[in-house]
Amino acid sequence: MPSIEGNEWAGAWVGRLSHELSAAWAISRKDMITYYIKPNIIVMGILFPFFMFLAFAIGKNAPPGTLIPGLIAITLLFSASSIEPVSIPIERRVKTFDRLLSAPISLHSLVFGESLSGFLYSLGIACFPLIAGIILFAMPIENAPVLVIAMALTAFCFATLGTLFAAYPTENVGEVMSMLNTVRLPLIFISGVFIPISEIPQIGQVIALFSPLTYGNDMISYAYTGTSLFSPVWDIIALLIFILIFQFVANRLYKKFNE
Amino acid sequence: MHAIEVSHLTKKFGALTALNDISFSVDVGETFGFLGPNGAGKTTTIRILTGISYPTSGTASIFGHDIGRETIAARQSMGIVSETSNIYDDLTAWQNMIFSAELYHVRRDLREKKSAELLTTFGLYERRSDKAHGFSKGMKRRLTIAMGLVNSPRLLFLDEPTSGLDVQSNLIIRDVITGLIDEGVTVFLTTHNIEEANMMCDRVAIVNRGTIAAIDAPERLKKTIQSAQSIMVSFDHASAHQLDDVRHLSMVNDAVKEGDKFRLYTEDPATVIESVMEYARARDIRVISISTLGPSLEDVFIKLTGLQRSGGMIHAID
Repeated sequence: MPSIEGNEWAGAWVGRLSHELSAAWAISRKDMITYYIKPNIIVMGILFPFFMFLAFAIGKNAPPGTLIPGLIAITLLFSASSIEPVSIPIERRVKTFDRLLSAPISLHSLVFGESLSGFLYSLGIACFPLIAGIILFAMPIENAPVLVIAMALTAFCFATLGTLFAAYPTENVGEVMSMLNTVRLPLIFISGVFIPISEIPQIGQVIALFSPLTYGNDMISYAYTGTSLFSPVWDIIALLIFILIFQFVANRLYKKFNE
Repeated sequence: MHAIEVSHLTKKFGALTALNDISFSVDVGETFGFLGPNGAGKTTTIRILTGISYPTSGTASIFGHDIGRETIAARQSMGIVSETSNIYDDLTAWQNMIFSAELYHVRRDLREKKSAELLTTFGLYERRSDKAHGFSKGMKRRLTIAMGLVNSPRLLFLDEPTSGLDVQSNLIIRDVITGLIDEGVTVFLTTHNIEEANMMCDRVAIVNRGTIAAIDAPERLKKTIQSAQSIMVSFDHASAHQLDDVRHLSMVNDAVKEGDKFRLYTEDPATVIESVMEYARARDIRVISISTLGPSLEDVFIKLTGLQRSGGMIHAID
């Protein structure tokens, strides 16, 4: 039978966790109201992946519908990772970020709350290619639960990546975006989004293993076609590992840069 | 238990020592002023006390909670009003308040009640549905302070609360702060307005170049520099060239024009009064008023920080 001290300890932890999640949700909701329609975010989160898709799709002989999984993957990449690199430098400039840093919440909750807004934003945006695939190209989804899990994990992974890059202590949105793009743009070439991994050079195939987009894209493709390079289970594990690494590193960086 | 306890706090940024082994404590319910010129280490101290930054060595605790190890518990009892009005311009006044309440874990049933109360107190309730970007500087400042009070803090950090504000905002803010002090809230006040600190604080610390130059009650600090006495005089025909004349009167160390009056610093007020009267008689001008003044907190501040007056302005001397 659990002791009274044990119950109190558990109760305190549940209370603490509830406070942390509530504050994270408040941060996320504030970002939604404040930043979702900022021009930078619309350009980088919606227009950029769309035109990137067109650049690859035009001239390809494959039916347009077969490119939908890749479009969903890069939409998730760009939209999820675009919110915090815009919002956090702006908040540093107007000093509202200090308000978050001095609030009675852990840095993990701050990072989580910031990432949550990118996550929800990208899921919303990625619904457009998803619905377009169904309505315009009659693309069947073979495994809907896997697609939901794939989109959620990929979105959260890249939202945390965006929060990580936004830790760089600048008030200039352009600086963070430039650094982030040096990582994001190469990812779409080596992660099997438009060129299958088996067709890229050996060195590219090795590098692809270190790209979270590889696993997100692989899982989304599996949901549509039933075939994948890795198993969905391995994709899920890989994405979870990336999320934990990004969350941990982001937490350390925010702490380090505030010293 | 003290509200704030700082022990041997040092903060280095590379080769620069921003804080050099400072120690002080603030009692519960005390209003404590933290004064110093720009770059003295005030902001660094506040950032450490609020857990935003970390000391290189030394400790700081808030109501017994070490800010480094029990950061969240320490922050729970504080309200922070930073120098900049750091509100969210794209949110309404109401959304700003509720967001702040959520960050500070104010109970759901109290959030709206407390927010409404504070917005009313600060004269913003009628504008609660307006986005903050349309607010004046004074309204933004009032909203910032209201957000800092939403969790009913036991300790309030106030960084330049009334700097550059209109009269209405100034009065409201000072009234609210006075009310908080009466309720027993501990206030840690940073300000460039030395008269404000003189009027409000039980004790002040004067920091300079990362060290505490003095820490005591304002009146006791003033007694340490009795040499900085002064005569305040006004003539019926005040003109700019008179400043130069009175500066050269016997026993006058320095003179400053303050509005239509001249303030003459001296160690011998009696002699200076005689000189002033003689000066007025010789030029056939009338002395409208003359009074002796003891040293002000500003005089103490200037002496301890190594600043100097020049033409009514205060300048750093290195």
